[in-house]
Amino acid sequence: MKTITDEKLMLEVSRGNLDQLKILFERHHSHVYNFLLKMTRNQMLSEDITQEVFYKIMRHRETYKDGKFVSWMFTITRNCLSSHMRKKKEDSLGFDPRSAKDLVSDIEAKEELSHLEEALNHLELPDRELLTLAKLQNIRYNELAVIMDSTPGAVKAKVFRAIQKLKTIYFKDI
Amino acid sequence: MKHRQIKDLLPHYIEDQLDDREREKVAAHLEHCPECQKEQEEYKMLLKAFNYEKQISPADRIRQRFYEQIEKEKQMQPKGVSLEKSYSKKSYGLGQLIRLAACIVLVIGGFYAGRYYQSGQSNLKIVELQKKNEGIKQTAMLSLMENKSASKRIQGVSYVEEFNHPEAKILKALIDRMLIDENPNVRLAAVNALTGFTSSETVRGALVEALEIEKEPVVQLAVMHTLVQIKDKDAVEVMKKLLDKEDTPDFVKEQIKSLIPTIV
Repeated sequence: MKTITDEKLMLEVSRGNLDQLKILFERHHSHVYNFLLKMTRNQMLSEDITQEVFYKIMRHRETYKDGKFVSWMFTITRNCLSSHMRKKKEDSLGFDPRSAKDLVSDIEAKEELSHLEEALNHLELPDRELLTLAKLQNIRYNELAVIMDSTPGAVKAKVFRAIQKLKTIYFKDI
Repeated sequence: MKHRQIKDLLPHYIEDQLDDREREKVAAHLEHCPECQKEQEEYKMLLKAFNYEKQISPADRIRQRFYEQIEKEKQMQPKGVSLEKSYSKKSYGLGQLIRLAACIVLVIGGFYAGRYYQSGQSNLKIVELQKKNEGIKQTAMLSLMENKSASKRIQGVSYVEEFNHPEAKILKALIDRMLIDENPNVRLAAVNALTGFTSSETVRGALVEALEIEKEPVVQLAVMHTLVQIKDKDAVEVMKKLLDKEDTPDFVKEQIKSLIPTIV
């Protein structure tokens, strides 16, 4: 049996077949979550935003036209993330990363960060974002260009520059 | 090409992003340049590290909540409007197809109309909810919460957002849902609805009670997080009891262990 493409499923969803959204959720929510985890390093927050992303996909299903579903999904994810960051800046009282960390019970709190993660954390946010999408979530340059509102060529060049920076950091203390 | 330029091309070379001419040049240079060879090895190691990076699986509660949201959304859905649209586009200019499309629209329309009439009673209530005053909203909400269908009950529970200062009757109904509803999704929705009203002593007491009797881990965790947020001291005893119980799942126990210190 051939698997149905994300795009076909999303078109079905946009026509009102909401159950198909469950398949898309199962396929992708872990990617969204892991991307957010790398960006925020906060599990609770990543869970909340993942939830928000799929809620938005459902509510705005009719605005999906064609185009890669993954690009659309990560565009929404980035928007949600940046509005959270803005909010955090506005009311520094509202969100306390330390108390949120207390609630974190699983892996990340206990295990140490991998060497790669540490190196990634030393990069500027835009570089970290690019590499997380390109190399960890394996988003292709064409799709990345849509997400970043840029051209494939420009994105590719940026990814390689970021890799060069990362390599210097990564091998510095090995 | 100079050594510097080749060095810059290496990441592209490793990912096979060069044209033939460039690729040959880099390959030729690599053969006699130990520095670039070392560089190349480092890139390969780095890219491998990405492949070995573990992905963490997100908590199940995301799925649970999202599936609830889907069910809620289904209740609100208009009757297949966009479906008709997309079919009429395809049938453009072709008589056959138009007829086919008309059939499909009729069948689907009929299906939704049937569904609409079936659930007519509850839908009417929703319409009322949107239009009329608090009194009617309240009655509608209360009766939705008594509905046989779990998703209707969830819908009823979530209407609490419509009230700024819900009456005791509503809080009581929500508490009932949390404590006695047979469906864990409804209980979970009720817990979430009640988190907004923890200033009420009755609500706080009921949350502690829920923690004592609740068997479903997802709901347990939701209750716990609410109680921890308001730093309810009574919760600690109950949480300790849960720790001692054998049938408490390990991940719940772990949560409890990490949560207790945040209360005391």
